[in-house]
Amino acid sequence: MTAVAEAKIRKRVLPSPVTGQEVVLVGVIVVLWAALAVSTPAFLTAGSIQPLLVATAPVALIGVGMTIVIITGGIDVSVGGAIMVCSVLTAKALVEAEVGLAVAVLLSVAAGGLLGLVNGVLIAYGRVHAIIITFGTANLFMFLGLRIFGSGTVNGIPGTLAFFGRGPDGRTLGVPHAFLITVLLTAAAWWWLRHTAGGRHFFAIGGDAQAARLAGVRVQRRVLSAYVLTGLLVGLASCFVIAQGTSTLDQSVGAGKELAVIAAVVIGGTSIMGGRGSVLGTLLGALLVQSVASGVTQLGWRSQLSDLFVGIFIIVAVGADLLRARARRNR
Amino acid sequence: MSRAVRILLTQRIALLAVLIVAVVVTFFVNDAGGYLTAPYDFDYMSAALITAVPLAMLGLAEMLVILSGRGGIDLSVGAIVSLAGMVFGFAYGEWGWPLWLAILATAGFGALLGAVNGFLVSYIGFPALIATLATFYAYKSLAIVINDQQPISTEPIQELFSISRSVELPLFGEYVPDVPLGIFTFLLPTVVAVWVLLARTAYGRRLYAIGTNDVAARWAGLPVKDTRFKAYVYAGLISGLVAVVTVGQFASARPDAGVSGNGMALPAITIAVLGGVAITGGIGRVAGVVLATLLIVWLNAGILLAFVGNEGSQYQLLALGAVLVFAALLNGLTNRRYGGSAS
Repeated sequence: MTAVAEAKIRKRVLPSPVTGQEVVLVGVIVVLWAALAVSTPAFLTAGSIQPLLVATAPVALIGVGMTIVIITGGIDVSVGGAIMVCSVLTAKALVEAEVGLAVAVLLSVAAGGLLGLVNGVLIAYGRVHAIIITFGTANLFMFLGLRIFGSGTVNGIPGTLAFFGRGPDGRTLGVPHAFLITVLLTAAAWWWLRHTAGGRHFFAIGGDAQAARLAGVRVQRRVLSAYVLTGLLVGLASCFVIAQGTSTLDQSVGAGKELAVIAAVVIGGTSIMGGRGSVLGTLLGALLVQSVASGVTQLGWRSQLSDLFVGIFIIVAVGADLLRARARRNR
Repeated sequence: MSRAVRILLTQRIALLAVLIVAVVVTFFVNDAGGYLTAPYDFDYMSAALITAVPLAMLGLAEMLVILSGRGGIDLSVGAIVSLAGMVFGFAYGEWGWPLWLAILATAGFGALLGAVNGFLVSYIGFPALIATLATFYAYKSLAIVINDQQPISTEPIQELFSISRSVELPLFGEYVPDVPLGIFTFLLPTVVAVWVLLARTAYGRRLYAIGTNDVAARWAGLPVKDTRFKAYVYAGLISGLVAVVTVGQFASARPDAGVSGNGMALPAITIAVLGGVAITGGIGRVAGVVLATLLIVWLNAGILLAFVGNEGSQYQLLALGAVLVFAALLNGLTNRRYGGSAS
């Protein structure tokens, strides 16, 4: 086989590195930022962009795990509850045990991984649809979180996690660490999903789990690992959440975040039916949603109006994908 | 014996009935032993039924869309309750429409919001999870913006609180506890209507058919898209009625009524699944959803008395989650062991 033919086959096997959806998203974000820069001069300044990037980080980071879960044909609606457990546990450790940065991060990530393991075991080996199991565990996690809260809030959280925060300690050369870590992990996940056999297995499972099993993929273990990974990322993202907040953590932490993450994933072009998706799109989706929220506030509109735009973006993004799929079928 | 076990495992309604008896007996025993903070008796159980009204109605709404198959689900019911509730607040509280007209308009508005979901899912082909996630955000946002984040609690709205009072039943009322009025004005009519729709009309048979296998249903000449679209419209209609109930309960049209905290969609889906509605569509019965609601309502009511302060509401989350995971795992087990579907 000649090198040219081999290259051709390679091209056919691997999807293109950047999907059409991602190109469109970059375009939309550029247009949006340009429009906001024109209408509110304060938008394109470091003081406005840096908090925007910091706020994008937790949703985008969990989105990496959620993308992989959704690629396998599953879903995880328990991440909101998991954020609550990880962040209250870590906040309590910071206040009562005065642990350092590394211990706090390890604790949070380990707790998240454990919660992900619970989901993964139930879904992979219980053979029940993921949405039902995670609806159930969402309640269990919230119970756990509220029990750790006891009554009321966690007060007087020290600035140990300022490395991930909005302050000057949270930036290197003007780039917020939280966002940087998110971008690096997204890039790593992108490479893993695209260029390693293990990564391709997730797509195979989402395309046809039975066929994947017959082809030698250990389906249950792979599915389990997707939920554990999501849990680990929830743990890290919870550290970002604590660092972004004030010195008080209240019981509403994490509420509704599962839907925000799923929104970012589907705006990013990942198919909810499984088998198709990209973590790069998810990062862009999260950035777009946060840009809209930031823009709505800076334009002086009611902040809840940004949810309306999120809804419209979901419809447009997925609608465009549906039309493309229809065009592919008709060709 | 093994036959009894099999019936218990495969017939969801039998299992729920046994669980309800177990829950009630447990709390009666605890009550007799003096472990509860207040008496758990028939009066208390009857009063607790007021929380069953929105829960069971939305559970039935979810059942209709889940039955329609192809991943049917409606995340937007809570947001519809918020937005339709605000419309009801305007119509009845601000513009002074007569009550019957305002209720009719609210239900119609809910149906319209459901029709948007149905149009996206059935005619355009959106996955239901995505379409209703999008409309959840849109409706939630509109409900808050529409009246500038302010609730509507004018005098007529406040007087509506009377619909959530308890009444003595006629004829044999003095022998049984008073029952919340909402049971008769909203819940029972909805239950009967959904039951008639599913069990006694051609539409119901079509809905089960498209949920079981929509390709086969299409080849059999059934109007698949039309049938699925209507399921979402009915779900929206029921959510509109729940909006009226909720406004009455709060004595105020709150812009975040259906989405605050965990929202209303999550518990509604939980109730439907617990009631034996298969998430893959085509399987589910009205009686299952009603029994699942009773189980959760009476369990929650008991838990509230077994713990002091807000611990009770925390343990309610534990109970809901544990029961749902247990029911789901049981479904998986019975499907494998007995091959059949747990209905």
